[in-house]
Amino acid sequence: MLTPSEISALRRQSLISALFSLPVCALLFLASRLYFRYRFKDLAAFRRQVWAELDASPGPVIWAANHLTLIDSFLVFLAIFPWNRVWHWRRIPWSTPEYRNYYQLGGPIQSRAIRILMYLCRCIPFLREGEDEAAVSWRERAFQKCLWILNRGGTVFVYPEAGRSRSGWFESRKPKDFLGRLALAAPSARFLCVYLRGDHQLYTTVAPIKRESYRMHARIVPAVEPGETHPRAVSQRLFNILGELQERWFAQWIGPKNCAGNDLIDLGSPGSREHFPPEREEPDWEWIDRHLTGKESDYLRSQAPESLMKTFWKFFTGKEAAHKALARSGIKTPVGAFKHIEIDLFRRKAVHLPTGCQVDIAFTPEGEDVVHCLAVLRGGYIGDEETAGDVLWKVEPVPDGVSPSEFARERCLRFIADSSDEIDEASLAFSVEEEAPVVLRSGRPQDWGVSLSHSGRYAAFSFMIS
Amino acid sequence: MGPAGAPVKQWKGPAPNCYNISFPHQRSGGDMAFKRRETVVEAVDLNTITPEDAEKRIIAGVKKYATNEPNWVKADANTPFLGHIIGMGIESSNLADITMSIERQFLTKKTRRVPVSEGSSEFRLEDGELGKLRILDGQDATAATPGLSIKMLMDHGHMPRNEAYLGKVVSFAYIAAIGDGYRMNDALRKMIAKVEKLPGTEREEAAANLRSMVEQAKNYEAVLSDAAKLAAARQKTFENDKAAYEALSKELAVVTDKLKGLSASNDSAQLSQLRSEEAEIRTRLKMSAAKLRVSQEVASAAGRRTPVEEAKVQEIRRLLSDSIQAASAPFANAV
Repeated sequence: MLTPSEISALRRQSLISALFSLPVCALLFLASRLYFRYRFKDLAAFRRQVWAELDASPGPVIWAANHLTLIDSFLVFLAIFPWNRVWHWRRIPWSTPEYRNYYQLGGPIQSRAIRILMYLCRCIPFLREGEDEAAVSWRERAFQKCLWILNRGGTVFVYPEAGRSRSGWFESRKPKDFLGRLALAAPSARFLCVYLRGDHQLYTTVAPIKRESYRMHARIVPAVEPGETHPRAVSQRLFNILGELQERWFAQWIGPKNCAGNDLIDLGSPGSREHFPPEREEPDWEWIDRHLTGKESDYLRSQAPESLMKTFWKFFTGKEAAHKALARSGIKTPVGAFKHIEIDLFRRKAVHLPTGCQVDIAFTPEGEDVVHCLAVLRGGYIGDEETAGDVLWKVEPVPDGVSPSEFARERCLRFIADSSDEIDEASLAFSVEEEAPVVLRSGRPQDWGVSLSHSGRYAAFSFMIS
Repeated sequence: MGPAGAPVKQWKGPAPNCYNISFPHQRSGGDMAFKRRETVVEAVDLNTITPEDAEKRIIAGVKKYATNEPNWVKADANTPFLGHIIGMGIESSNLADITMSIERQFLTKKTRRVPVSEGSSEFRLEDGELGKLRILDGQDATAATPGLSIKMLMDHGHMPRNEAYLGKVVSFAYIAAIGDGYRMNDALRKMIAKVEKLPGTEREEAAANLRSMVEQAKNYEAVLSDAAKLAAARQKTFENDKAAYEALSKELAVVTDKLKGLSASNDSAQLSQLRSEEAEIRTRLKMSAAKLRVSQEVASAAGRRTPVEEAKVQEIRRLLSDSIQAASAPFANAV
C-alpha cells in the first residue's frame, strides 16, 4: 500500500502535470515536427480508430507498446493524442521510465531540466535492474502507484518487454509477468496495444533518425478475459496481440521480415583441424586470435585442451550464421571482420558490435564431427528446450564428385517442397538478392530467410516459417 | 508468410527442430592437416621486389586453400580469393590464412610499434628495423584479390606506391559488383538448363522463375551500365553504416551524460559499471568507423571507373546480355 505522503505526491503531480499539459504537448509536438521532422503515416485514421474504442468505455487503460528507442513514450503519445484531447487529463498516460536512463543525466542544470520535464510528463521512475531489497521495494512502490492511478480511472503506459529490444524484434514467446500482475490487480482496465516503428528502424538506438516515417497498428482488448487467473496467461495473451500487430507492420514493409542464417563446419576436414594439431600441446593462438574478441579469447583459453577445437568452431559458426542473418536485414559485416560479431555461448547470443544489434543463436543436435549453428535476428523464434523454433534445417553428407554448393541448393529446394503440401518443387528456384540467396516461387521472391552452408563432407540448409 | 503470399499454415512435420543429423560412416578424409609451421617460407623484403613478383608470391601462397584449381591456375591481380565462379574458391574460414600467408612471405621496415595515443594498447607501425610483416586488424578489409592485397601493402607503407601497377587493379567496389553479376549470370544459366529439361506443366512453373530472373538480370545490367547508378546503389550501404555510426555516437553521449550525472554521487559500483560501458562503446565506435570507411570507399569508388574496370564491366554485361537472350530465344512461348 502507498503511504499518505506518496498518495498526496501523486495527486500533486497529477494536478501540476494537468495544468502544464498544453505547453508540454506543444513542446513535444514542435520538437517532433520542426527538429526531428518525424512523420506518422495515416495518422488521422489511426487516431479515429483508437479514440472510437477508447471513447466507447471511459474506464482505466493500460498502454502497452513495443520498445526500440529512449523516446518511444513520446512517439507513441504523439501518435495517439490529438491536440483537442489534451484536456482529457485522465487519458494522458503515466509512464514508467528506467530511473538510471533519465534521472541522472548530465550536469546539475541539465539533470534538473530533465527531471522537471519527466515530472510534467507524468513519469513514475522505475528501477528494472537489481534484486536487492531496495530495488525490489522500488519496483513494488512503482507497481502500487500504477495501480492507484488505474483504480481512479487513469491511464498507465508500460513496456511489456521491460526494456528495449536489442534485436529490434518483439518476441511474443517470452512474456514477462509485470503486465499480467497489473491487469489482475485492475481487472476493469483495458489494454491499448500499440506497435509503432519507423521504416528505417532496424535495431535499438537512443533515438530514431531525423525525418523518420512511422507506421503504427493498435488494438484495444480487456485487461483480463474470463478464466484468466494467472499473470503469465494475461501477459501471454497480450504478447500474442503485440506479436500480431508486429506481423501486420512487417506485412506492409518493403524489406524482409524473416532474417535467419545457418553455418556449418566439418570437424573432420583437414582445414578445420589445421590449427589444432593433436601432436602439439598448444593450438595456433595467433591464428585463433585473429577471429575472436578479447572476451571470446579469454573464454576459449579457459577451456580444456580437448574441447578447444570444437569451442572455437562454435564461435566461428555462430559468427558466420549471425552475419548471414544480419546481412539479410541490411546490416552488413565486412568480409573477414570476424571481431565485429561477438558470441556469448552461455546466453546463446551474437552481438554485432558496431550496431549493438543482438541475434539469437542455437547449435543443432551435434554429431561427433560437425558443428552446425542457426541464427535468428527477427521473423520468428529460434526455439529452446521447451518450445520448438521456427527454423527448419537439415545437414546432409555431400555425395562424392558433386559440387557442395549445387547440392545444398538442390536439397534445400526439395526440403522446402517436402515441408508443405502446397508447394511444388518445380515452382521453386534459387536466385540472388543483395548478395544473399533467395528462393523464387512461381517467379516471386519468398521471404523465407533461406540460408545455405557447406564445409568438407557436409552441406547444411535452413529456412524459416513464421 | 511473406508478401508474396506463400502458404503459412500448411507446413508438415513435427517440431521443426527435430530433423536429426544423420551421418554416414566416417570417410577417410585423412587426418594429416597441412603443417604450416613446418613449411619453410623464405620471406623477402617488400622494397626489393616488384608488385608483380609480390602478386605471384601471394597467389602461390594461397594455393592449398584454393578449392577451384582451374581458377587459381589462371589467377591474376584481379581474381577474387573467395567465390567459386570466378574466384579461387577459398572458404571464409581460411580468410585469416590468406592474411597470415602474406605476412609470412614478406619483410618490411614498418616494424616499430607506436601507441595510437598515450596509454593506449592500440598501436600503428612506423619505420624501424627490417622485420616480419604485420597486417593489423581491419587493414585487410578490402584485400579481396591479390592486386588489392598489394594495394593494401602500398597504402600502409610496406612497399613503394606504384601507380602503373595500381592502374591495373580493379577496386574493391567493382570486384563486389562484378562478382554479383557473375553470380546472377550463373543462376540464370542454371535456370535455363533446368527449364530445358523439364516436361510441359513443370516447365511452365519454372518459366515464371526464369522470367523473374531475366528481369532481375536486365535491371542489374542497367545498373552496371551506368557508374552513377552503381554508386547510388552502394550509397545505400554507406548511409546505413553512417546511421549506425551516428546512433552509436549518441549511445556514447548518453553514457557520458550518465557519468557526468553520477560523478557527484558515491555509487562507485555504478560508476565503474558505466566506465566499462563507456570503454566498450568506444571500442565499438572504432569498429563502426572502420566499417564506415570501407563503405565510404566503396560508394565513392563505384562512381569512378578505370579502363580495366570498364573492360571487366563490359565483359559481365555481355555475358548477362547473352544469358538474357538465351533465356528468351528457345523458350519464347514459355518465357
